[in-house]
Amino acid sequence: MSATSELKIVFAGPMGAGKTTAIAAVSDFPPISTEMHNHDQESFAKASTTVALDLGQIGLGDGTVVRLYGTPGQDRFSFMWEIIGRGAIGVILLLDGSSPSAPNDLRTYAETFQRITPDQPFIVGVGRLRPEDGAKLDACARVLDLLGISAPVFSVDVRKREDVLLLLDTLLAILEVRDSEVAQAHG
Amino acid sequence: MRAGGHHLEAFATANPDVTLAVLTSGDGFEVASYPAAQPITPRIAAMSSSMQALSEALTREAGLANNRNLIIETDDGTVMIMGVAGTPRLSLAIVAKKGELLGKLLWAARNLSKKLETSLRK
Repeated sequence: MSATSELKIVFAGPMGAGKTTAIAAVSDFPPISTEMHNHDQESFAKASTTVALDLGQIGLGDGTVVRLYGTPGQDRFSFMWEIIGRGAIGVILLLDGSSPSAPNDLRTYAETFQRITPDQPFIVGVGRLRPEDGAKLDACARVLDLLGISAPVFSVDVRKREDVLLLLDTLLAILEVRDSEVAQAHG
Repeated sequence: MRAGGHHLEAFATANPDVTLAVLTSGDGFEVASYPAAQPITPRIAAMSSSMQALSEALTREAGLANNRNLIIETDDGTVMIMGVAGTPRLSLAIVAKKGELLGKLLWAARNLSKKLETSLRK
């Protein structure tokens, strides 16, 4: 398989944002997982946590294979963010919309992955939002504005395949437009 | 977990080229270490848990049974990571200078792992 027919997209974000679930929702095979028992129940009350990566894959029908990498969320695993981010064509940042720290989390992860994957597009997916939480999406959009990042922000349920596909389709559409603009600029 | 620290200290004393021994939880937290309170230890703990998890994922994909240890040899020394049987996903990371013979280090580390297993079961 040639390198041009393999794309790499990274799912990033804090612990409990739904990265492992999102990849499992769309992957063509059961994702490779590195989940371990979570001893840090104060940060997020869940049974297990990713300590190295998640790896799934989705075929686009034209022979292109998109590899879906999930990062661990905690700072102590930030060395994995650098490793996983290398060569990514785009980043999907997932946030827990029920967390008061969501805008700060967005700032942290957007700044970090902007450095790791410069010039690559971002998509932001905010989960666990209630219908009356529209202001939280606006807050996220303001954070991106302040950082000078142009990225769409979606409310998503990462358990739903169609929601995760929306994020992936949007990212791929942005890349397609950018590639055609570059091609036009070069005549 | 004090007993774990004592076992690590005894191990490092008996194997003088060992520069760091860290007992780590499956999710990357330092449980015990020798020498204690080194600035690098939390990162080594997190990295060793990631490496342990990745090596387990790799052996699963390859259809191999439980992996015993992961050995990284460099020009300057060796890093060895192994699970501690009978514990809830604890692993042991050992860093040694190149003076240490790999076979001797592996033998000593397995003995340490057994001692930790016995000690932590009590």
